[in-house]
Order: sequence, then structure tokens, then C-alpha cells
Amino acid sequence: ILKTSRQINSLPKVQCPNHPDAILVEDYRAGDMICPECGLVVGDRVIDVGSEWRTFTNEKATNDPSRVGDAQNPLLNGGDLSTMISKGTGAASFDEFGNSKYQNRRTMSSADRAMLNAFKEITTMSDRINLPRNIIDRTNNLFKQVYEQKSLKGRSNDAIASACLYIACRQEGVPRTFKEICAVSRISKKEIGRCFKLILKALETSVDLITTGDFMSRFCSNLGLPKQVQMAATYIARKAVELDLVPGRSPISVAAAAIYMASQASAEKKTQKEIGDIAGVADVTIRQSYRLIYPRAADLFPPDFKFDTPVDKLPQL
Amino acid sequence: MEQNNSLTPFPQGLASPPGAMTPVMPIFSPTMRYNTGLTPQPVQNTNSLSLLEEQQRQQQQQQQQQQATPQLYHSQVSTTTALPGNTPVHTTPLTPMTPITPATPASESSGILPQLQNIVSTVNLGCKLDLKTIALRARNAEYNPKRFAAVIMRIREPRTTALIFSSGKMVCTGAKSEVQSRLAARKYARVVQKLGFPAKFLDFKIQNMVGSCDVKFPIRLEGLVLTHQQFSSYEPELFPGLIYRMIKPRIVLLIFVSGKVVLTGAKVRAEIYEAFENIYPILKGFRKTT
Repeated sequence: ILKTSRQINSLPKVQCPNHPDAILVEDYRAGDMICPECGLVVGDRVIDVGSEWRTFTNEKATNDPSRVGDAQNPLLNGGDLSTMISKGTGAASFDEFGNSKYQNRRTMSSADRAMLNAFKEITTMSDRINLPRNIIDRTNNLFKQVYEQKSLKGRSNDAIASACLYIACRQEGVPRTFKEICAVSRISKKEIGRCFKLILKALETSVDLITTGDFMSRFCSNLGLPKQVQMAATYIARKAVELDLVPGRSPISVAAAAIYMASQASAEKKTQKEIGDIAGVADVTIRQSYRLIYPRAADLFPPDFKFDTPVDKLPQL
Repeated sequence: MEQNNSLTPFPQGLASPPGAMTPVMPIFSPTMRYNTGLTPQPVQNTNSLSLLEEQQRQQQQQQQQQQATPQLYHSQVSTTTALPGNTPVHTTPLTPMTPITPATPASESSGILPQLQNIVSTVNLGCKLDLKTIALRARNAEYNPKRFAAVIMRIREPRTTALIFSSGKMVCTGAKSEVQSRLAARKYARVVQKLGFPAKFLDFKIQNMVGSCDVKFPIRLEGLVLTHQQFSSYEPELFPGLIYRMIKPRIVLLIFVSGKVVLTGAKVRAEIYEAFENIYPILKGFRKTT
């Protein structure tokens, strides 16, 4: 045992000769390792694993010799260090028919192929609804956990990716409705719902319940309603749930009905069809929820609301 | 007394009743024609297709069921047939005299009994069937091989539907009690037998029982899902009810805001009752106060 420890101690360790205990600071720009105590440059030509930096000297040159490749994503890909031969440039790489001579560009990392595909799909879906990078990263992490667990192996990867996207949005506090995820995915709402429940069970996590306020800002800005109406609708929906006027109704339907009431009381009146289109709710559903909140309309509005149409003139459906 | 009289043709010559294909085991010996004071024996599980005795058994068990307290159940396998006017010498294990499960003194029982709404059972008729002849000759049978590979037959008396497969296996759904499910399965088997197939009645098993009840007060589902997170799933976008997966009797309960509860996944009646007794105090804690 003593022998092995001596062997480990004899491995070369990069350290400053004057301060062997100091932890070296990496200067990635120059590729140096610098001692923080005395400033001595200890190592140099350290390989930079960050993304390649751009050179602005010659914009037209497509192959920049200082490029070392794409940024590594160690968290998600498992530290794959394999390389591949790129497509040839120049005339010699093409044979007589115009096909490239060296064709083997496939079979890079078959183990992670499905995962890479799913990440691409997640990025595509998120781009369609303009989701920020943190949600995409969270979705990728969730997908990786589910994929490695293999408990949902039989399910379509796209379905799992869509469900992971839904869960990530919920976990970040900005939930998207199932219908919104359906709009950017090719998977049906039923299948996404099934995968969602399976993933929660597999990862043993839970998500918070959705509330009406989570969707107000998005729906109202998509409808082009001013901030006053949005705040009024938020207040109406919250009050309606507190007073238990709409027991058992989905929060989306209650939110849509609240937006309808607030917009009808303001100058910007929106029809039920328009609101139903944006919220993904049928207009009969809005009508049903509206009928439930209409009797107490006077109590539901915020006290400082400026009515364009007074409460008694609100449409009665 | 009339039950005894109607039984007389059966044990008289010990001949098989018409239509039964297998040799019949006599349920009651000839000496029991008159009240002899013999203790009632548990009825053997026969594979014969005597509908008469089946219906009589059903009538007796219905009487027993009405007397049974909610904490009791009778399993589908062994039942005692109490002859009228004949007091047993010693109580057989499942007579409704005393409750088997003692009520805990701390919490009183809910007083609500879940009603059974649907029973799904399977039985093996023991012979290969030609679905086309069954569909053509039987009444109330539909068969669409392109859509589904079984004959769908319906009878009116216990209002049930049966799926009859060509392997001889049959699924019977829609009955409201275990006895009715067995009777209906026997009726279907009788229909198949009358069409000329050597049908038997093997391995009758109840696969699923669904019950429902009303706790009569509204429930705060949001509170319930917060405290019982590992058992509950409440997604208003997907389904308006809370799905509670109980572990101890493995039962799934659908709990709604109105206070209605649906219990499913039981193999025996007692599981439904036990699950409801377990959930009732929890639901009382989440009663809506307004």
C-alpha cells in the first residue's frame, strides 16, 4: 500500500516552484496557468476546451485554422472525445461522378445518437415558442435523466421530449398549457399527458399546481390588451377562485373567462372566439365559466378599475 | 319450502339435468329433501351449466347480502346456502352474525356504503369456437373481424355484455354484483352451448370491480394534492378529478370536487369498502368550508 501511494505522489503535478501549495489560476485567453501568489506563468499552451473564438481578419475564409471544434457539452453527452474526418475541400477529394471520395461521415456516437436527436428536437420546439435557454437546458437535463433510467424506453422519444419540455416550463414557474406544447410538437395531447405522468413517477418529482395568474401575461399580450386590462383580469380570476365561484373548472378556462370580462369592461373588447383561439379553450367553455362569474361581477373587479362599460352593461350570455 | 321442492327433480334419480354435458356432482344428497337439521355445507364450485341451481343460489345470496353488514363480504368461491327454517347447529364462518373487522373506537365508520357499478369477469369455455357461426345464429351478437377479433354479445337479464373469443375465452362486463356476473357468464356459456359447442365453465374469475359513492360535501382537491403528493395526481388540464392511488388495498380512487368518489381496481368487494373507509377521514379533513 505504501508503494502505490508513493507512485501517486511521484506523478508530475503542475505547480509553481516557489509556491507548491498555491492553486494555479487558468488564463484561458492566453492558455496559461498562472500562480496567484507571485504571478509566475507555470504552464502554457493549455488546450482550450471552451468554444472557439472568432478571428475577424478575413471574413471570407470559411475554414479558420484556429478553430478547434464545437464547444464541449460534458453534462449531456458523456464526454465523447471521438473525432471524425470532415468533408474534403479542393478538387482531389471528388471522384469522377462528383461524389466525395471519403464518405464515412455517419456513425459518430451511436449510443448517444437518439439523445442528440432529441436535443435537436427540443431546441426546435422551444424555438417555435421562444423559450429561454434555461428552460431548454432544464429540458435537456430531464430528458437525459429519463433516457438513462430506461423506464420509459418504449415510448417515442419525441413524446418524452415534449413531456420534458412541459415539465421544465412548469418547474421554472412559467407553465405552458398542454395545448401550447401540442402546437409545436407532432405528438397528441393524450400521449404527452401520459408521458408526463410516467416521467413524474420515474423521476419521483412533483410539480406545483397551475394557477390562473401563470397564463395572464402571455394571453393578454397575445391579444394585445393593455396592462390595466391584464391586471384587472388577473385580479378577477384570483378573486373568482378565492370565492369558489368556479369549482372544478380548469384554471385555463377561468383565466379565459376573466380576460373576457375584463376586456368587455374596458375599451378593448375581445370576442369569445378570439380569446378561445389564443387560450386553446372552446368558446362554449368560456361561456360556461363566464356564466358562473357573471352574477358576482361587481365584486370581482379591482377597486381602482376604470370602466369603459359599466358592470351592469356587461354582456350576459 | 318451495326451494326444496324445486330441487327434487335434481337429486331424485341423480341423473344429469338436460343439457349438462359433464357428470354432475349432487349438491344436496337425497336425504336433505326434508329439513333434517343437517348443517348447510359450503356449495362446491361445479362446472356444470345448470342455470336453475345458479339462479336459486343467486336468490339465496341476495337475501344474505341484504342482511350482511357493510364490514362483511362473501368471497366468490364458497358460500353457504342456509335452508329456510333450518337453524344451523353451529355458525358457519361467513354467516352475518358478528362483524369480522372490529370498528376502531376512535373513529366511527362513515355510514356510507359504496355501490358497485360494474364487474368485469373472465371465464374459459374450454373449447375452440367458430365466431362466424355464433354471430350468424345467436341473437344480439355482433362480429366485425376487421375491427375486433371477438363476438360482442349482449343479454338483457343481468344487463351485461360479453366478448367471446375464438380461443374459447370470454370476458363478461356490466354486471352490478358478483353473483350477477357469474349468472350472466353462465347464461352466455349456455347460449354458446346451445349452438352446438362443447362449452364448459372453467376458471371463472372476477378481474375488476368498480364502485362509486358520494361523501355529500365538496372537497378541496388542491389541499389534498399538496399533502398526499406521493399518492395523488391532480391535473385539471387532463382530467377534472384527482386520481388517488391507494397502496394498502391497491385501489385507484377518482375524487371529484362535488364529493363524488369512484373506486376501481378491486378484485373483491371488501377492498372497495376498505379503501373507502381509509379515504373518508382524509376527505373530511379537506372539506370545503364555504
